[in-house]
Amino acid sequence: MTDRGGVLAAATGAEALSTELPVGRSTGWWGMVMFVATEATLFACLLGSYFYLRFQYGPQWPPDGIEDPKLLKPLVMTAVLLPSSLPVVWAEHGIRRGQRWRLRAGLTATLLLGATFLTLQATEYAEKLKHFTMTTDVYGSLFYLITGFHGLHVLVGLTMIGWLLAASLRGGSFGAHRHDRVRNAAIYWHFVDLVWIAILFTIYLSPRL
Amino acid sequence: MTTRPDSRARLAGGLLLWYGVLGGAVAWAVHLLVAWPLDELTCAAGSEKISAVPLWQAVGLAVVLPGLVTAGSLAVAALAWRRTARAQSAGVQDPAFGRSRMLAVVGIWANLLFLTIIVLGGVAVLVLPACQR
Amino acid sequence: MSTTTTPSPGISREDLTRLGAHWGEPASLRSWFTTVDHKRIGRRYLVTAGFFFVLAGLSALVMRTQLARPEAGVVSPQQYNQLFTMHGTAMIFLFATPMLFGFGNFLVPLMIGSRDMAFPRLNAFGYWVFLFAGLFMWASLPFGAAPNNGWFAYAPLSSEAHNPGLHMDVYALGLLFLGISTTSASINFIVTALKLRAPGMSLNRVPLFVWAIVATAFMVIFALPALNLDNAMLFLDRRFGTHFFDPSAGGNVLLWQHLFWIFGHPDVYIIVMPALGIVSAVLPAFTRRGVVGYPLIVLSIVSISIISFGVWVHHMFATGLPQLSYSFFSAASTIITIPSGIQIFAWLATMALGRLVLRVPLLFVIGFIVTFVLGGFTGAMFALTAFDQQVTDSYFVVAHFHYVLIGGAVFPMLAGLYYWLPKISGRMYHERLGRWAFWLVFAGMHVTFFPMHLYGLFGMPRRVYTYRSEPGWDGWNLVSTAGSYLLAVGLLLVLVGVLHALLRGRPAPGDPWEGDSLEWATASPPEPYNFPVLPRVHSLHPAWDARTAESTTTGATADRILSAGRRTLVTSELDAHRERAVEMPESSVKPLLLAGALLVLFTSLLFAWYPVAAVAALIVAATIAVWLWPPRRPDEELGVVA
Repeated sequence: MTDRGGVLAAATGAEALSTELPVGRSTGWWGMVMFVATEATLFACLLGSYFYLRFQYGPQWPPDGIEDPKLLKPLVMTAVLLPSSLPVVWAEHGIRRGQRWRLRAGLTATLLLGATFLTLQATEYAEKLKHFTMTTDVYGSLFYLITGFHGLHVLVGLTMIGWLLAASLRGGSFGAHRHDRVRNAAIYWHFVDLVWIAILFTIYLSPRL
Repeated sequence: MTTRPDSRARLAGGLLLWYGVLGGAVAWAVHLLVAWPLDELTCAAGSEKISAVPLWQAVGLAVVLPGLVTAGSLAVAALAWRRTARAQSAGVQDPAFGRSRMLAVVGIWANLLFLTIIVLGGVAVLVLPACQR
Repeated sequence: MSTTTTPSPGISREDLTRLGAHWGEPASLRSWFTTVDHKRIGRRYLVTAGFFFVLAGLSALVMRTQLARPEAGVVSPQQYNQLFTMHGTAMIFLFATPMLFGFGNFLVPLMIGSRDMAFPRLNAFGYWVFLFAGLFMWASLPFGAAPNNGWFAYAPLSSEAHNPGLHMDVYALGLLFLGISTTSASINFIVTALKLRAPGMSLNRVPLFVWAIVATAFMVIFALPALNLDNAMLFLDRRFGTHFFDPSAGGNVLLWQHLFWIFGHPDVYIIVMPALGIVSAVLPAFTRRGVVGYPLIVLSIVSISIISFGVWVHHMFATGLPQLSYSFFSAASTIITIPSGIQIFAWLATMALGRLVLRVPLLFVIGFIVTFVLGGFTGAMFALTAFDQQVTDSYFVVAHFHYVLIGGAVFPMLAGLYYWLPKISGRMYHERLGRWAFWLVFAGMHVTFFPMHLYGLFGMPRRVYTYRSEPGWDGWNLVSTAGSYLLAVGLLLVLVGVLHALLRGRPAPGDPWEGDSLEWATASPPEPYNFPVLPRVHSLHPAWDARTAESTTTGATADRILSAGRRTLVTSELDAHRERAVEMPESSVKPLLLAGALLVLFTSLLFAWYPVAAVAALIVAATIAVWLWPPRRPDEELGVVA
């Protein structure tokens, strides 16, 4: 108890309260964080619109003729996409120590996982398009806009990853002193991953609640 | 205050200051984002209950909890202002004190504003029937 | 006051030559297209936004001519719809925000003692996108295909079924295109203000104008996505048959309004906030003291920018939602007047306690206070739901927001224009001409818009292209029209004043006003590198502070001259401790190429040339990839082990 009291007293002292936080970030980091913030707001508006339209629609959701989304494939997609952040983290830590092979290996692994995700999404679309399309009703519009928009973000993220991989394979691009671009692309990729969880909940899980 | 605080205390202190400055704003945002859709969507569905809880109580909870968070934020901002003001008047020369003191002043007034908004919303919950149009 | 003209005591001639070589740009056509200098880009923003202002103003004059008497036939109803829509859309999106961002672009690096923005190339890109998006939208007017749905484009009137043709496609695509510019400029402002402040400029020493621009940028970051999503859905509904705003298939027209006003109300402050920042920047020079209550003004800037996100439903009090859900927004709408009031009283106190120097910029500030307070007063009336329902969609609303926007944005802009013209151009303006311009603009504004309160209360709805003769309408409408011509003459005099200054004005010294912020501590116009020696800031009013002045002269050190390359200083976020010197990018043609590719993309989407759009999208991606491609460096410099 005394120890915790000591920490509390120290934390509320003038000096601790005047700690500079955040500190020492690069301009590129702030730029990417702000970009992700505005993108996250866009997704928040998108998912907010989903719930707004859903609750205005009435008790039957998805509307007549469309069954609840199946869970197996989205869960597999989640299992593919979420772990894809780990190789990026590993690669980033590697290049910070100047280990170029870790950067290359990690980026390749993420690239493969991300491409698998998009392939799975394409097969899911092929199946769903037989039942309903973007123009069927507002549920179809929402489903394809939200998942398609996220898929587009995955594609953009993959382009970034592929671009990093190409630059690192050329050589002379990244090292212990130059890894800003790796970290910035990693931030974007983590964001794309996290948004998927919100989409999984909104599109696939919430109709079952 | 003779020894420099360790890194854990400094991290906690830095976060605490931001809680004092922006806590009320965040709490108010949460209050609005919960209370408003709760009311509008439940009423649109033609009910005045969320499972077993009457709607006005649920909305009331979305007023009281953010209100408490804001009050806490106000207290922290006031504490930060007093500590830094005292350190400055004790003659400690650190430009960071001037900065954190200004942020604390901003935090105090901002939290008062947000507390007022939340309280006014709370009054409305007591006065108005939840779904009256 | 001393000005840092060359050669100054703190810096050697060789250093100055080197700085000139690294930062200077030759006066060639190529450099015109490739420049990344924030001062040139800022000037372009000002001129381009001024051009769109003239177009939107002329649209308004045509409308006022049409409304001068009942049942006139100057324009057809279809033309009138396009004119009022383009007037509103252009004034809000193509004039107000870009004009203020132009001031920000020119001034923020100077005020914080930096040599450029954090991302100079992104800055150039943002300008080109703004220019192209503006031309994209205006180009539709001569073809009779301009947006025609009012600037807030309510569904379902904007749907393909009710509004065929390209009109609303131009609106949706044009605003999406412009959004790229606004977002990138905002990110740039935030990062610049966080990381590029001169050493010693901790948060409690940041000029109020910079606070205002940063708060504005944050509002853009969190508000604009709602508008972008709205427009994307509108475009999909119109072009690809989705049903977001179509009630017959489960959509909801109110979704448009919610998303639009989630953006729209913060946007009122996005427009007004930097203008209020201009007021806070202008006052010290003409009252000979700092603005009273600096922390309270920072408070009001920060709290307004946050609360503005929680008031949007007050635009929809007439749409029939539960009373309780209104009340949460009513509370926020009522309380947001407090920080606005704090600012007004702080300025009044500054003027009461200071020694007034009654020059043209101060006249415009006084005109601003009078007009803006009247507009704010009618604004507070809308927070009362019952009153709001009575006047929604009448000319009373038109009167209100013109008081707010002309009073709150145009007057401060004009104050800022006269105040900073010597800094921007190196020339002084003609004082008598400026006074005439002020009185004509002020009188014209009130003669035009005050009567609108009256005929609004008499029941005249907004957006009607003509009206039957009614008691109280005819005469006051004629007064409004006369006023609008007066206003136009006043604004013309402003333009004449600027041209006169550029062509005939006497050369301006570095600090003609004895101003308090850092832009006055360098030459007029500033050299391409802004400051020969980056200052070390010791107070809130660095240009009035002897220690800061000393830091650029006798106290100059090599680590703040940085003449070995195109360099500026990066400092820490809150307390502006020196972190390191960074290399800034050279001029480049890629920003222009990227913006051009985006123009092709949006144009081909408009005309449904989808294969062209796909190619343009690929070019966009390729340009970005090449733009950011890392230069090849030796392994030792990179730090590679294997």
